[in-house]
Amino acid sequence: MRRDERSFRVALVADFYVNPPPGGVDGIAAAAEAGWGVMQLPADDYPAAVTERLLFEVAEQVEEFSRHGYDLVVVGRRDGLAEALARVGLALPDAITPASFVALREFLDSRPSPQALSELEPGGG
Amino acid sequence: MPPYARGMGVAFVAHCMLNQNSKVGDGAHCAGVYSPIVDVLRAKGWRIEQMPCPELAFAGLNRFWAVREQYDTAAYRRHCARLAAAVADVIALRVERGEDVVLLGVEGSPSMGVTITSSDARRGGRPEWPDGSPELVSGEGIFVEELGRELNSRGIGFPRVAGDTHAIPGHDEAAQRAAVESALDG
Repeated sequence: MRRDERSFRVALVADFYVNPPPGGVDGIAAAAEAGWGVMQLPADDYPAAVTERLLFEVAEQVEEFSRHGYDLVVVGRRDGLAEALARVGLALPDAITPASFVALREFLDSRPSPQALSELEPGGG
Repeated sequence: MPPYARGMGVAFVAHCMLNQNSKVGDGAHCAGVYSPIVDVLRAKGWRIEQMPCPELAFAGLNRFWAVREQYDTAAYRRHCARLAAAVADVIALRVERGEDVVLLGVEGSPSMGVTITSSDARRGGRPEWPDGSPELVSGEGIFVEELGRELNSRGIGFPRVAGDTHAIPGHDEAAQRAAVESALDG
């Protein structure tokens, strides 16, 4: 596959950080600055059946990223995510519940280079 | 970016607007978040709901670029119908709460096009068509069609739409922004 602009980094972001309250940590802005993609997790106030359906689809997509060596992290918390990922054979990725925008940026910036990226580089494994 | 202002509408956005890593190979035009449309939503105080990428889990990250006819299989329509039901659940919740809803897709996409999709009935077999082959036509992508069916079956009207126009010749970011703002403003 030809290299494009993608970062091979995907953050699973709790709704609280995708749609932050005034003064809250803007997870999309932090991801944009750090060059990460965002996969939104269902809002906490959705009915259980709706959440279960949405998390099923999140897990299906995360599985594909994981199979290809993309770096994955969780921002915030979402009940049911661990179980949805376990269904596709995945453990919860490293996570942060950021107290500030700066803390989230530092966490994202501190991640190692994704395996997928190294495999695309000359001599990469 | 200003924060989300509760009480405004809800924009259901194509997955790749927040995650360009989901794009077909050679299709990502930035590292992760496609900010121009997100910035409009933030500026106007709209809530963001990211839809699943229909092609990602079905055809994978190494999928080929494709037109509607190549994705238009019974299995892919079942996959899209399942995703559409999950999205329609959330749209229904928002509509019940009296919130305004818009759908922001990806123009030219065989799955997520809202007014422009891609079509070429001759495509198949060994890839040998040249770049620039005419494939853009008026119409919706397959997921958007299935979502329309699902909403119709629930008695919910189809939302106003706009889209990311990167794949359209003559893409103009200012015109794209104006179209998104127009959809949000109703």
